Amino acid sequence: MNNNLYTLITGASEGFGRALALECACRGMNLVLVALPGAELYNLSQFIQRNFTVKVIAIEKDISIAENCVQLFKNVSELNLKVNILINNAGIGNTHLFCDGSIAFYQKQVQLNVMATILLTRLFLDSLEKNGPSYILNVGSLCSFFFLAKKQVYGATKSFIYFFSKSLRNELAGSNVHVSVICPGGMNTNLSVTMLNKKMSWLSQLAVMNPENVAPIAIDGLLKQKEVIIPGRVNKLFLLLNTVIPAYLKKMIANHQMKPLNSMHPANNRTFLQPSIAVTCPAIIKPIISRV
Amino acid sequence: MKIFVTGATGYVGNALALKLANDGHNVNILVRDSSSKNIPVHQGIHVFEGDITNRGTLVRAMQQCQQVYHTAALVKLWAKDKNQFYRVNVEGTENVLAVALQTGVKKLVFTSTCGVLGASLKEPLTEDDPRIKAFDNEYEFTKSIAESLVRKYAQNGLSTVIVSLSKVFGPGIETHPISVNQLTKKFIEGKLTFIPKPGSLISNFCFIDDIVRGHLLAMDKGMDGEKYILGGANISYTDFFETIRKITFSTARLVEAPKWCAKVFAAMYWLKQRLTGNDLFFTVRGVNHVYCDKAFSSGKAVDHLGYQPTAIKDALEQTINFLKTASHEQ
Repeated sequence: MNNNLYTLITGASEGFGRALALECACRGMNLVLVALPGAELYNLSQFIQRNFTVKVIAIEKDISIAENCVQLFKNVSELNLKVNILINNAGIGNTHLFCDGSIAFYQKQVQLNVMATILLTRLFLDSLEKNGPSYILNVGSLCSFFFLAKKQVYGATKSFIYFFSKSLRNELAGSNVHVSVICPGGMNTNLSVTMLNKKMSWLSQLAVMNPENVAPIAIDGLLKQKEVIIPGRVNKLFLLLNTVIPAYLKKMIANHQMKPLNSMHPANNRTFLQPSIAVTCPAIIKPIISRV
Repeated sequence: MKIFVTGATGYVGNALALKLANDGHNVNILVRDSSSKNIPVHQGIHVFEGDITNRGTLVRAMQQCQQVYHTAALVKLWAKDKNQFYRVNVEGTENVLAVALQTGVKKLVFTSTCGVLGASLKEPLTEDDPRIKAFDNEYEFTKSIAESLVRKYAQNGLSTVIVSLSKVFGPGIETHPISVNQLTKKFIEGKLTFIPKPGSLISNFCFIDDIVRGHLLAMDKGMDGEKYILGGANISYTDFFETIRKITFSTARLVEAPKWCAKVFAAMYWLKQRLTGNDLFFTVRGVNHVYCDKAFSSGKAVDHLGYQPTAIKDALEQTINFLKTASHEQ
């Protein structure tokens, strides 16, 4: 691998972003890691520099603010870093009813999940073409294929990412920039998400993956220029089931899911280890709804 | 000084309570079963019956104590009831923290595990290094949540310090069936000993006397909300047992077992457990924990606390002497 090229990862300090950073370091890629200001990003870049022979540049930025995306691009240009892989990973999830979320929260969520991805892709596109062959990996979600309660805005932003990635890929076909989108299901990204994951039924838990297992699949798929990357057999099965189950049945299941979901608020963490939701007949497809 | 110690019927807590009592302190300990053979006996040690999952018993035992050492935990890879890990390691810790704050305790030292940090890559792990893999057992997961609670209380006005221990060995009571002490004992008795393949895998072994001293140093000099690794030598499994061989001239065979062998063994062990209902001490998932490097740096504790780990050879000599005497007495 060319020693002067860099992989830029947003949201790199925690969860899937961190696993991607470690995976790329493992493959000898130099890194530009972007995350919110805080000790985690610094600790991660120190750790990678001590354990791998790659160069790491850590940039603390809240890229949910449009101006900071421009700043980030300027910083990278000023440092003369040649980026050939752009990974738009930063995002905010949500697991609450629409009426429980504040306007400020949704604005931030859309800004980060949607706008930051558009801005960074646009800003870096020219240099990606120059440094090609280049790759763009956008992190979507399996939930963009389902219409879930409590994931309204999040799911919608991820649908956007899916649509955007596939369209842009078509547009850039024949150029030396390859666009992929990864749609992971549930992952144990941090302590509180892991707690929530443990609360699900055993079948849903089957679909949950660890970030360090998804990251190699993501980078493999990206380098193989795959259009859509679905990690994990269980997730692939859910997606398949979704296409064959009739709409009225899905609606029934979705309604049925409202009850258990109500007890899955992060504020109720203390009860996270209580017996998992009993598996009843329609619940065979429950993971589709409750997980992603 | 009046000091409260939880987990005094455990390996580390027992040694710590005795050390504190020998230093002339009044030590209150909380035990679930007052007839336990693991209760440290000393005129300075006062036994309170209770449980960290019961706040009332904690309030009684912590009255007028200025310092708290919270060493109690459910230390296992597996339990029949998974909720037990959460109740003891998370809720129990929160109870200890809340009661300490309420009764006016000056400072609390929380005993945690290097397992929270996970496996290492090229360099030994430090306190701030990120985990490279998600948690896959309840013990390390719940200890990690407990650590964040301890840090939270440091911001709430209770002075708290975290100490992280690696694999502890040395003279003391036996509370776990596959401890380093047990493996050492079997090796010096000439029994066939299995180590993970390759034997060059690194682990960190720390000596109980250092651990007890490290706790006192953390209480004395530890900074609020900070974590200190109390480790020992980073040494390969092969070197560890070959060091013991040099001291004891043991003729025991050392066999490197491949990972799949350990997994088959763990699966058979699990089947046996299903039939007999005994506790599991070794699990299929637990195998992954053994088959990786686990090197840790005690640099921060050395620099900030004055922690001085004993040389591995000296520590092993003392341990071997203890194990030999203990088996003669039986």
